[in-house]
Amino acid sequence: MANDQTSVAPDLRRRSFLNWFLTTSAGAFIVSVLYPLSRYLVPPKAEESTAHTVTLAIKPQEIKANSGQIVRFGSQPAILIKTPADELKAFAAACTHLACIVQYRPDISHIWCACHNGHFDLNGKNIEGPPPKPLEEYAVNVRGDQIVVSKKG
Amino acid sequence: MSPPNGPSRVALLILLLITYSLPTRINAQQQADTCALCHFALGIEHLTKPAEDYKADIHAANGFGCVVCHGGDASKMGLDAMDRAKGYIGKPTRAQVIEVCGRCHSDARFMRQYNPNLRIDQVAEYFTSVHGRRLREQKDEKVATCASCHPAHSIRPPSDSRSSVHPARVAQTCGTCHASAEYMKPYKIPTDQVEKYIKSVHWKMIASKGDLSAPTCNDCHGNHGAAPPGVSSVVHVCGQCHGVNTELFNKSRHSKIFAQMGLPGCSSCHGNHEITETSDAMLSSGEKSACATCHPPGSSGGTLAAAMLGSIDRLKTGYEKALVVLKNAEHAGMEVSQPLFELNEAKTALIKARATIHGFDQAILDKEIEPGLKISENAYARGLEAMDELQYRRKGLAVSVLIIVALIIGLIIKIRQMESRPSKADRK
Repeated sequence: MANDQTSVAPDLRRRSFLNWFLTTSAGAFIVSVLYPLSRYLVPPKAEESTAHTVTLAIKPQEIKANSGQIVRFGSQPAILIKTPADELKAFAAACTHLACIVQYRPDISHIWCACHNGHFDLNGKNIEGPPPKPLEEYAVNVRGDQIVVSKKG
Repeated sequence: MSPPNGPSRVALLILLLITYSLPTRINAQQQADTCALCHFALGIEHLTKPAEDYKADIHAANGFGCVVCHGGDASKMGLDAMDRAKGYIGKPTRAQVIEVCGRCHSDARFMRQYNPNLRIDQVAEYFTSVHGRRLREQKDEKVATCASCHPAHSIRPPSDSRSSVHPARVAQTCGTCHASAEYMKPYKIPTDQVEKYIKSVHWKMIASKGDLSAPTCNDCHGNHGAAPPGVSSVVHVCGQCHGVNTELFNKSRHSKIFAQMGLPGCSSCHGNHEITETSDAMLSSGEKSACATCHPPGSSGGTLAAAMLGSIDRLKTGYEKALVVLKNAEHAGMEVSQPLFELNEAKTALIKARATIHGFDQAILDKEIEPGLKISENAYARGLEAMDELQYRRKGLAVSVLIIVALIIGLIIKIRQMESRPSKADRK
């Protein structure tokens, strides 16, 4: 009988430990599942981007004619311009010479690279200075109050 | 006039035979091209080749026959066609070439019918060139004329890649004379220009990248008005493409000093025909230094060069460091497109800073360097944050995995224990 009691006591201790361990582990397991899930569901600080299409929260009607602005196209810069004829156009903003970011010159209605004085016309064609080829043109579509810029082809 | 030699005599005889043996009735098309008819029939290479080549000539495509340049009467056959009374001049002399080509090409009204875009001042320009001046003033019969660069009988427009004046072939065309030590011997000028040019960054752009906007001989020397740019013109010539650098240089202290010393602007540091790719090392005091040629290390110029190099290096290192950490974070799946996007501005600042070197002023340079450095530092910090977040996530994953493994082990032990415990029935 005494022998029985001594053999049961450690067994009980082990069992209670195992129960405690399993309960804690199960709790931790649930937390480890829920935490990444909540992190996934809460949007990150930085806006997610794709390399092929971006939707810009810019109202098309608010853009002045004969103006341009740099917008994000994934991690790369793009230039969105409204021509003097009120047409929206977008191009890759990296100059084809040495990849400086180009800008819009309303005084001459050219896309211009300040680094080495490269000029592009409103079709992105290199017309003056060292740029060897035209800027890549993106497709621009207006969807309500948003502008959708996408890679062509 | 010397009597015709052996082969010419034979040719003349054949020509006479052809003249009188050919049928007198020939159709209209043949009438318009009786020159070619005989030249082909003669079978002598130096007579058939021009007629053969001319089939692909832009003038032939526009309906011009041989007589437009050579004179004579294409409605007659044989020697009758080559009637000097009817303006036949045979092979034009160099001076005649200019006159013959200029007859149409200097006439705006005439040229408008065929190519209204084509300039009509080539002849006027030609006589401002070294070639034209030597021809007119010294009656030099070795100089280049129209047909030297636009080979008579096979003239194609410059846009045609087979043309001798296509941008990719201009150097070869000029080199026909200018790379020949023997031909150029009387002029006592170097003949290594083409050899040097094909090592230049400009030729590299044309040959390997197909960039036909890169300069070749005529872009710096002019084509019809070809001449060395001259010390005072070098900056303007390079400035056709490198406008920002030129503007900065013209405002710099170097501009005035170079003019006083009679030194050409750009080429003093960059060379002329063998303009290789520039590097930051040009500001160093090392082997590739451009500054150290005049400014020894320790002098005020040398110190400025070292300071400018230091600024460029700081921005370059800052930019590259930020790029590496952001790219690593991106490859690890972290969202870093915003700092990567912003870092493009730092790259722009670095490229602009390299151009502003031509102002030779630390203050001008710093205007580009400082904003670039700030962007780089910010991007680097964001990259580090992303990497920290990555480490945090990895640790979290490791902890989760450990917990899951421990749970599985615990479950296994529990199951085994339950299986090994005697049931109530067994105990009874």
